[in-house]
Amino acid sequence: MAKGPTKSMWMRMLTIMLALVVGTFCVSATRLAKIMLVDSDFYQQKASEQQLYDTELSPTRGNIYDRNMNVLATSATVWTAYITPNDLKKITNQSEREAVINLIADNVSRILEIEREKVIECCNKSSAYVILKKRVEKPQADELRRFVSENSLGYLIGLDESSKRYYPNENLASVLLGFVGDDNQGLSGLEAYYESELKGIPGRVVAAKNARGMDMPFSYEKMIDAKPGNSLVLTIDKYIQHVADKLLEQAVIDNKVAERGVCIIMNVNTGEILAMSIKGDFNPNEPFAISESDAKLLEGLEGDERINKLSELRNKQWRNKAVSDPYEPGSVFKVITLSAALEEGLTSFDKHYNCPGYIVVAGQRYSCHKRTGHGGQTLIESFQNSCNPVFISLGQLLGVKTFSRYFDAFGLSQKTAIDLPGEAAPMYHKEENMGPTELASTSFGQTFKVTPIQLITAISAAVNGGYLVQPHVVQQIIDSNNNIVKTVENVRKRQVISSETSTKMRHLMEKVVDGGGGKNAYVLGYRIGGKTGTSQKVDKMNQEKQGNLYISSFCGVAPMDDPQIAVLIVLDEPKGDAYYGGMVAAPVGGQIFKEILPYLGYQPQYSEEELQKLAIKTPDVVGKSVSTAENAIKSLGLNVKIVGKGETVLKQNPAPNLSIHKNGIVVLYTDSTEVNTVTVPKLTGLTIAGVNTQAAKAGINVEFAGPSLTDSGVLSYKQSIPEGTTVEAGTTVTVYFRSEDTIE
Amino acid sequence: MIQGRAESRIKDTEKIRLVQKGKMDLTFLSLVIVLLIIGLVMLFSASYAYAYTVYGDSYKFISKQLAFAVAGVVIMYIVSKIDYHIYRKFAWILYIISVILLIVVLLLPPLREGFDYKRWIVIGPINFQPSEIAKFSIVLLFSHLISLNYRQMERFSFGILFLGMLLLLVCGLVVVETHLSATLLIFAIGVCLMIVGGIKLRYVSLGLLGGIGLGAAAILSGIVDYGSSRIQYWLNPWAAPRGEGYQTIQSLLSIGSGGFLGRGLGQSRQKYLWVPEPHNDFIFAIVCEELGFIGALVIILLFCMLIWRGFVIAMRAPDKFGALLAVGLTFQVGIQTALNIMVVTNTIPNTGISLPFFSYGGTALLILLAEMGIILSISRSCALQKA
Repeated sequence: MAKGPTKSMWMRMLTIMLALVVGTFCVSATRLAKIMLVDSDFYQQKASEQQLYDTELSPTRGNIYDRNMNVLATSATVWTAYITPNDLKKITNQSEREAVINLIADNVSRILEIEREKVIECCNKSSAYVILKKRVEKPQADELRRFVSENSLGYLIGLDESSKRYYPNENLASVLLGFVGDDNQGLSGLEAYYESELKGIPGRVVAAKNARGMDMPFSYEKMIDAKPGNSLVLTIDKYIQHVADKLLEQAVIDNKVAERGVCIIMNVNTGEILAMSIKGDFNPNEPFAISESDAKLLEGLEGDERINKLSELRNKQWRNKAVSDPYEPGSVFKVITLSAALEEGLTSFDKHYNCPGYIVVAGQRYSCHKRTGHGGQTLIESFQNSCNPVFISLGQLLGVKTFSRYFDAFGLSQKTAIDLPGEAAPMYHKEENMGPTELASTSFGQTFKVTPIQLITAISAAVNGGYLVQPHVVQQIIDSNNNIVKTVENVRKRQVISSETSTKMRHLMEKVVDGGGGKNAYVLGYRIGGKTGTSQKVDKMNQEKQGNLYISSFCGVAPMDDPQIAVLIVLDEPKGDAYYGGMVAAPVGGQIFKEILPYLGYQPQYSEEELQKLAIKTPDVVGKSVSTAENAIKSLGLNVKIVGKGETVLKQNPAPNLSIHKNGIVVLYTDSTEVNTVTVPKLTGLTIAGVNTQAAKAGINVEFAGPSLTDSGVLSYKQSIPEGTTVEAGTTVTVYFRSEDTIE
Repeated sequence: MIQGRAESRIKDTEKIRLVQKGKMDLTFLSLVIVLLIIGLVMLFSASYAYAYTVYGDSYKFISKQLAFAVAGVVIMYIVSKIDYHIYRKFAWILYIISVILLIVVLLLPPLREGFDYKRWIVIGPINFQPSEIAKFSIVLLFSHLISLNYRQMERFSFGILFLGMLLLLVCGLVVVETHLSATLLIFAIGVCLMIVGGIKLRYVSLGLLGGIGLGAAAILSGIVDYGSSRIQYWLNPWAAPRGEGYQTIQSLLSIGSGGFLGRGLGQSRQKYLWVPEPHNDFIFAIVCEELGFIGALVIILLFCMLIWRGFVIAMRAPDKFGALLAVGLTFQVGIQTALNIMVVTNTIPNTGISLPFFSYGGTALLILLAEMGIILSISRSCALQKA
C-alpha cells in the first residue's frame, strides 16, 4: 500500500490546481483588462468627477483713480467665515456636541454680528462647508481667529480670503463710478462699463478632496494664479468733482429740486470729463441704502408695492442722468441755432430784430417769454434776452434741411459714445418729419430731447473753434504694476463751424453772463460766458395732469478768451421760489467757476472798477497800541470796533491776513480776550448797500458772492450763517446775491 | 466508529517526530514572504489616509498588522518545524470547538451597533472570526478522515453522507451568521478535499447541481435574502450609487483609475475615504489603482505560483494526510484570493471576503501564516522522503 497520494488523488489534485490557477488567472486578468484598459477612461473620468473640485481664486479688482492718481475705488482684503458642520458630527457625545455648538453660537454671533439662530442652523446642516458670513473685515476676522485658536476650533471654523470694494470718498462721483455686487462684479457706472478690464482673470486651484469633502494632500493641487485686474485712470479731477458735488447738492436742496440735478464739467478742447455729478446720489459702499427723504416715500407701503417702490428709488439713485435721461434743453440750445445761422451768414452782431412778444408760424402762435415783447434789439441783445421769436426766425432762415444738417453735425442726433453704460439716444424731429412748427419749436430748444452729455459736447464745439470732440471719462488703463495698457487719445470727430464763427459765439456767450440772462454766473475777475435755459416738461405735465414743471439749466464756459472749461448744470423740477435757469442754475455755475478756475491755474484779472470792490486783507495789529492799530485799519478803508479800555490790542477779529470786504469791521479787544458776541441779522432780500448797513450795525463782516456787483438789480437771497445765530463780533458771513431780472 | 478505527491505524502506520528535520521548500517560502511584504506595503498605502482621518493616526493599521506579521513569520517557522502528523490528534477536538464557537458567536451581542451580523468573538485585545477556525478545522478533519478511510471514499455513506454532514453542519452555522462568503469558502474547501480524496465523480456533478438548487432555494425562501439585494446591485451597482452600489462603484472607479501603469505607489485618490475601509476587503482595488494593470497581474501571478507550489508540495507529500492537508490549505488561499478579486472587480456579488496577505486583520494573518507553516512542514517531509 502506497503511503503517499494515490494516482487518482494525484490526477485530481493536478486538475483542481490547474482549474484554480488557470481559472483565477484568466478570469481576473480578463476582468481587470476590461476595467483597467478598455473602460479605464470612463472610470477615471467618473473618479475625477467625484474627487476633483476647482476653487476659483478671485483676482484683485483694479482700482479707479482720478487724473492725479487719487484713489476713487479700490479693493481691500476681507474674509469669508465658514464652518464645517460634518466635523461637528464627529463629536459623538450628544451633550458635548451641544456644548460646542452653544459656544460657537454665542461667540460667532457676537463677533460676526449675525443672529444666534442662524449660526445654530449652520452648525446643524449636514454639509462639509457652510458660509457663516461673507465680507468679514479685518478686526472681526482677527477676533474670530483668536476665538477659534483659544478654543481649538480650527477643525470647525475657518476664514477664506476674498476682497471687498471700497470707495474711500464715499458719495464722490458715485453715480459715475457705480458699484459692485456680492461677487465683486460691476453692476453700474464705470464698474460695469469697464468690467472686463477691472475684474482681472480668475485663478484656479484644482484640488482633490476625500469623500468627506476635505482636501487631500497638496501634491494633487494645481494652482493657476489669478491675474489682477487693470486699473482705470479717469479724466475726472477729484477736487473739481468735489466742488461739483458740493455745489450741486446745495443747489438741489436750496431749490427743492424734485427729480435730481446734473452737473458736468468738461474740457471743451479734449472732451475729457473733469467732473460728472448727479444729486441725489448714493454711497457706493452701501449702494442699496436709500436716502432719508426716499425712505419717507416708502412709509405706509407694504408687500409688492413697497418692493417695487424701493426698486424704483434705488434705480433712480444709481441712474446716470447725465447720459441716460434726455431732456428738452430749452434756451441753452439757442447756442446751436445761433452758431448755425452765423456760420451760414444769415445774421450778424448788429443786425436788428423786432420782437412784438410773439411770432406766428404756420398758423401757430409762439409767445416770447416776455409777453410784452422785447421790441427792437440787436442780435447780441436778442441773445442776451433769449428772445424766442428771433430764434424762430433764424430757424426759418436756415430751413429744415440746413438746420437738420447742423443738428446732426453738432452730434445731437447720435449718442456720443461716451465710455459709460446706459447712454440714451436722443429724441428729435428727423429732417423728413420736420415741418415748420417742429422747426420753430426746435429752434428755441423745445419738443426734442437730448442728453446732458450731448448738449455740453455740442456747446463745446460752438466755443472751442468749432470741433466736435469725443467726450470720455477714462484717459488711461494701467495694469497692476502701473504699466500703461492703453491710453485713450483725445478725439476731434469733426469741425462743425469755422473758428471765426466760434470766436463770435464766445463773444455772444460772454455777453449773456456779462449783463444778459446769465449774469448770475458772473465771477469777479474772470471772463465767463454761458447760456441759461428753462424748459417746461410738457410731456410729463400732460401725462400726469400736473401744473408747471420745469427743467432749469445753465451751460457756462470759461475763460472766454481761450475757452477751456464748460460747465453744464441741469436741475430737474426745481420747486423752490425760483425756477428760471438764470436764477437757480446760473449761480451754481458761477460758484463752480469761482472755485475751480483758480485751482486750474487761472489767476483773476481785475478791472479798475473791480479792484475797488476787492476784499482787503486785515493787518496784524495784536500787541500794538490801540491808536496805532486803529489808524492802520482805518487807512485800509476798514472800520474799527474797540472792546474794553486797555492800551494795547490783545486780540483781533477777524484774525490777521484774512480777506474782508471794504467797509468791513475789525474788532479789537483791549481788556481781555473774552469774546464779544453779536447776533447775525437777516441779510437776505437786501441790496448790496442794505447788506452793508445791516452788517455794520451788527458788527459783523460780510463777503459778497454772486454776479457783477455793479448791477443795481441784484438782491441777496442767501446767507452762510442763518439769521439769529450768535457769533463773535467781526465774524464774516457770506451773502449770496443774484439778479432777479434775469428770465432766460 | 469510523474514528476509532482510524486512531488505531495511526499507531500502526505513522511515527510522529516532534521536530521536522528536512529542508523546507524555499520557493514556497519565498512566495509567502514576497506576498507578505507586498501585502504590508499595500496595506500601509491603502490604510494611512483612512487611519488618519478616522483615528488621527496614519500608522494605526500598519503598526498592528506589522506586529502580527512578524509574530506570524516566527510562528510559521516554528510550525514548519513541527511534524504535521501531530494535528491528527486535534482534528476532532478542533472541529467540535469550531462548532461550539460558531454557536457561541450567535449568542453574543453584535460587535458594533448597527451591524446585524455576528461574526466576531472578542476576547480582550484578540478578536477573531470563528469561521476562520472552522475553515482550518474542516481542512484538518477532512484530511485526517480521508487519509485514514480513503478506500471508503467511493462509498456513498462515508464519502458523501458522513463527510457531507460534517461539512453542512459547519456551513449551516456559518450561513446563520449570514456570512455567505465564508460559507462558500468552507463548502468549496470541503468539496475540494472530498474530490481529491476519491468520491465518485458522478456525485460531484450531482452535488454541484444540488448545491445550485439548494442555493437558489435558500435565496428564494429568504434565508439569505440579504444576498438577493446584493445580486440586484451586483448586476447594476449604478442603480444605487450612494446606497448598496456605493462600495462596488467606488471599487470599480478605483480599479479603472489605475489604467495600464497605475497612478504610482501611494498615489491612490480613491483611498481618501471614497472606497469604504480601503484596508479591508477592497484593498485590491487600491492595489490596482496604484500599481496598474501590470502590478495587479504580477500579484495575481504570484498568487498563482503560490497555489502551484502548494499543490506541488501536496503531490510530493510522503503520505495522504500531508497531501490532503497541503491541498486543503493551498486551495483555501487560492479560492479566497480568486473570490476576493472577483468581488472587487464585481465579477460576482459582493460577499465580504478578504484578500490573503493583504487585507487588514491580525488574527487572520496569524492563522494564515501558521497554515503556511504547516505546508512548509509538509515540504520538509517531502525533502526527507526524497533523501
